Amino acid sequence: MRLKVQVKNILAKQGTTAPLLLFVVFILLGFVAYPNLHLLQQSFFQDTQFTFSNYLSFFDTTNNSNLEALWGSIYISTLTVFFSALVGVPLAYLFTHYDFPGKSIFASLAVLPIVMPPLVGVLAFLFLFGESGILPRAIQVIFDLETIPFSIGGITAILVVHTYSFYVYFYLFASNFYNDLDASVLEAAQNLGAGTGFTLQKIIFPMMMPALSGAALLVFMAAMASFSAPFIFANTTRILSLEIYQTKLNGNLDLAVTQSVILAGFSIIFLILLRIYSGRKRYIGGSKGVKIKTKVIQNGITRWFISTLGIIAVILLILPHLTVILISFVENGTWTWQMLPPSYTLDNYVGLFEDPKIVEPITNSLKMASYATLGNLIFGITAAYLLIRKTFPGKKIIEALIMLPWAIPGTVLAIGLVVAFNMKNIFTLGTILVGTFWILPIAYFIRNLPLVFRSTYAALESFEPAQEEAARNLGAGWLFAFRKVILPAIAPAILSGALLAFVLALGEFVSSILLYNYYNRPISLEIISQLRVFNLGSAAAYSVFLIIIIGLVVIISNRFLGKRTGQVVV
Amino acid sequence: MHKNLITLFFIALLYSCSSEDHTQEIIVYSPHGKEVLADFSERFEQQNPGTKILWLVMGSQDVLDRIRSEKVNPQADLWWGAPSSFFMNAANEDLLQPYKPTWSAALNKTQHDSLDRWYATYLTPEVIAFNSQVLTKETAPQNWDDLLKPEWQNKICIRNPIASGTMRAIYSAMIWRFYKETGSPKKGYEWLSKFDASTKSYPANPTLMYLQLARQEALITLWNMPDIELQKQVYDYPFDYVLPKNGTPVLAEGLAIIKNSKNPDLAKRFYEFITTPENLAIQAEKYFRIPARNDIPPEMLPKWMNDANINAMDIDWQVFSEKSKEWMEYWSQNIKGAGKP
Repeated sequence: MRLKVQVKNILAKQGTTAPLLLFVVFILLGFVAYPNLHLLQQSFFQDTQFTFSNYLSFFDTTNNSNLEALWGSIYISTLTVFFSALVGVPLAYLFTHYDFPGKSIFASLAVLPIVMPPLVGVLAFLFLFGESGILPRAIQVIFDLETIPFSIGGITAILVVHTYSFYVYFYLFASNFYNDLDASVLEAAQNLGAGTGFTLQKIIFPMMMPALSGAALLVFMAAMASFSAPFIFANTTRILSLEIYQTKLNGNLDLAVTQSVILAGFSIIFLILLRIYSGRKRYIGGSKGVKIKTKVIQNGITRWFISTLGIIAVILLILPHLTVILISFVENGTWTWQMLPPSYTLDNYVGLFEDPKIVEPITNSLKMASYATLGNLIFGITAAYLLIRKTFPGKKIIEALIMLPWAIPGTVLAIGLVVAFNMKNIFTLGTILVGTFWILPIAYFIRNLPLVFRSTYAALESFEPAQEEAARNLGAGWLFAFRKVILPAIAPAILSGALLAFVLALGEFVSSILLYNYYNRPISLEIISQLRVFNLGSAAAYSVFLIIIIGLVVIISNRFLGKRTGQVVV
Repeated sequence: MHKNLITLFFIALLYSCSSEDHTQEIIVYSPHGKEVLADFSERFEQQNPGTKILWLVMGSQDVLDRIRSEKVNPQADLWWGAPSSFFMNAANEDLLQPYKPTWSAALNKTQHDSLDRWYATYLTPEVIAFNSQVLTKETAPQNWDDLLKPEWQNKICIRNPIASGTMRAIYSAMIWRFYKETGSPKKGYEWLSKFDASTKSYPANPTLMYLQLARQEALITLWNMPDIELQKQVYDYPFDYVLPKNGTPVLAEGLAIIKNSKNPDLAKRFYEFITTPENLAIQAEKYFRIPARNDIPPEMLPKWMNDANINAMDIDWQVFSEKSKEWMEYWSQNIKGAGKP
């Protein structure tokens, strides 16, 4: 009798689990596993013939352009990690340890690069620091120099843009670390007679290692995948993500696919390293700990010095945004060799609201980002719920599949979709996706899969299952309990993840450039094509629009959902 | 608050799930620039109410790659512009739909496909363009080989040639000059290597290239004549150009309907519309495009066009069509940037 009831209960439980699980597995197989396996398979084929020749030509020693590109990617990514750490960690130290005038403004501006869509940031740097950039020309004019004093281009430019965009990861990781640091440990060390250097070497540094290596691997992966900066600045430097695009463009899809597999392979290795590090236990003291007291800087000269430094840093951080705003008022086609734009107009913004040809990309992007994010929400909540609350075999595989798109650079993801969905298959219900409106929302959905899943997972994990059980015992159905008990508790965290996914999808460029068509052309592509026909103003007006939307989302998240946004990124 | 956010989110979602009628519209892929495309799509729409001509402007190689990727599910209806060798490739890959225009007799046989899959619209000469604030028609390089002189070292910028039909044609022509005598691209590769050593940068799109030239970051580029004229006249850029005396590639720029076009009838109407003598004359006058049709009375065309003395390089475009991918891949993998320390 008892046994019967138990079996019945299990069956009832499986009743909700099975269809949900089926849904999750279907999505993962169809949109994560299938395109990537297809990509892997195609890299071993040339016209229907099984062969290793694609790989042989990649590693061909007589023509090392591909190896050079791989090396170029690794080299730039390594330097990016170094410089991002160099900026991010000291900045975090400064903010968590000292108090000085203007600190709060400064601290909130430090995450400003997040508000810069990737392609837009690159263009801003080009107009600001390039060979004919505003700054080099201004200094030339002010000091009446023969030639411009400096300019950035090539690898230097890529590194500057990368550091600007990615130091935030180090900054956030390090800030979290310092905030969690138990001051009593440091005091204990001091009382036992340890000097500053000794404490740093023996206590702070070892404790900080997991956070630092996490940030480092994340930045490394982001830099390996980076496309916009090389696209504008690489010149003759070979970089793998860009090389894939060029090879595909030249019509050699087989080699492009092989390059993609190799780039993805390297990223996945780093993701595995990242998992190993983040899986390690954090150093947490036995007591609740004492927060580090921030020191108010009293010394007049130091105060003055740090404040000046702060103001300079703020200006540097905000200059790219100001540049984009300035260019958005430039009359199209007028700004050529002059230091500053010669004439200004509001037309670019008027067009943004009136000209249907200009409005369309905006509505396209808004729609596609919404669809993708809705998909992410439904999938993320379902998957996280299943993984935390239910028991079934293969959990690890499902989790790995969900996290996979994170390690796969946008270029590779797009190539995978091109080769996989250029024909009919069951996952797309027998339609061809390439060339349709839906290919981009799906690409955005896949790219942001890990993000929304992680934020949901974290929220659900900290939610006490007893509350759900209580509701169920009181007679609530599964859906009712979920809606009335679980959802309200986890909504803020989920929403902040979803908003971030929405923002990323809105400004997405890397996959879009390989997959867009007329009916879904997104803002980022319109920025590039406006730029191609010399409409600097229109391109910048789009960019300002993107920056404002992203800014609003960040403010909303911080204001209403707590400061989780940054944590979701990392 | 969260509820409101969710509601907002759904409103954003539901906001227009479009299911418009696409029967009276076509999509045109073209590298010819928004000025021409906006102008002629508007003219057509005005004269044919209820129709819509939608267009995407991109490099010629982009167009080819895109049509190739979309083969099973074509998105575009018409492909307007790219060197004839591109259209030959597309025709061989079965991407184009045969159509014999009413004026087919007005072209010589190298300017169209024998199976009517593409016809030429313009003859576009390639030029050596320069910044006219620094150089003049006399002081600028006069011939292709002049470009290798040490004085132009680091003064040349080249639009990233992989994506550009213009640049692929010029680079292929540089190889062709030697290939037609030796039957091997080797000497051509050597020429391009020396040229790469003189080239300062490879900007990612034409605008960045124009900007570098206008701002004197570079003084010389290779490009096509109509675009340089257009930039000079419309945007007042300090540009001018030299037509290389010992011969320059003159591209026959094609026009074709894409296979399995969703609206071939409208595509044909627009095809005919942009190639009437009147409209070709407007394109000649406003956009500096030399019509390929030889039945247009000289008095309809601008004076400079009738006077122009263009020495066309003798080129077998069939060879370009067959070899371009191999040559450009070699350039991209072995030559690009190799001359730099």
